[in-house]
Amino acid sequence: MQIYKDYKDHADFLTVYVREAHPTDEWQMKSNVKEDVCYAQPKTLEQRVAIANDFVKRFNYPTQFGIDDMGNGANDAYAAWPERIYIIEQGRIAYRGGMGPFNYHPEEARSWLAARYGEVKREASTAVPDKKNN
Amino acid sequence: MLKWVGAVVVLLILVAVIGLSVMAGGIRGAYGMVRYALPHMHRGTLRVGDDAPDASLLALDGSSRFHIRERTGARPLVIVFGSYT
Repeated sequence: MQIYKDYKDHADFLTVYVREAHPTDEWQMKSNVKEDVCYAQPKTLEQRVAIANDFVKRFNYPTQFGIDDMGNGANDAYAAWPERIYIIEQGRIAYRGGMGPFNYHPEEARSWLAARYGEVKREASTAVPDKKNN
Repeated sequence: MLKWVGAVVVLLILVAVIGLSVMAGGIRGAYGMVRYALPHMHRGTLRVGDDAPDASLLALDGSSRFHIRERTGARPLVIVFGSYT
């Protein structure tokens, strides 16, 4: 997660796990089969916790991590599903990212941080932003 | 007249199915998008400058809880929402 590495000295990061986007019992993607990311939609909070832990372990995910309740309170409050980025500053929304996947642009959040704290030069091998490496 | 209206409706449905299939990578994907994704996708009403909503989250240990508001301080907080799949 390059944006975290580059700006962790200036900003705090929190990842929030929300309901699965492409579980095996709903709209599964071929890419998930190929990458061995095959999970049914969790029916209990314990199942969400287990999947979130699998994710964190597999990617050595470094940020603070929270899991949304089965009532999807965080998801509903932020219209977060399937993926979305916000930046909060002094209790207010400072940046509101678009709704994924089509309008999910981590580079916009990066630009917000760069405008505030200066651009951090990245190595070419780590410069590709995607869902798991933004 | 009714015949033409019917033809236009069928044509529009066909265009919609083709468009969704292109976006979703096939007929099956189009079905998945309509059946499982669209009902959960919401633009939301939050705008830049609005108070950030609070919500209770469960920690990875599966027992302790915290609020988003507790993690906001002097520094900006970048919140990334997503799932594994």
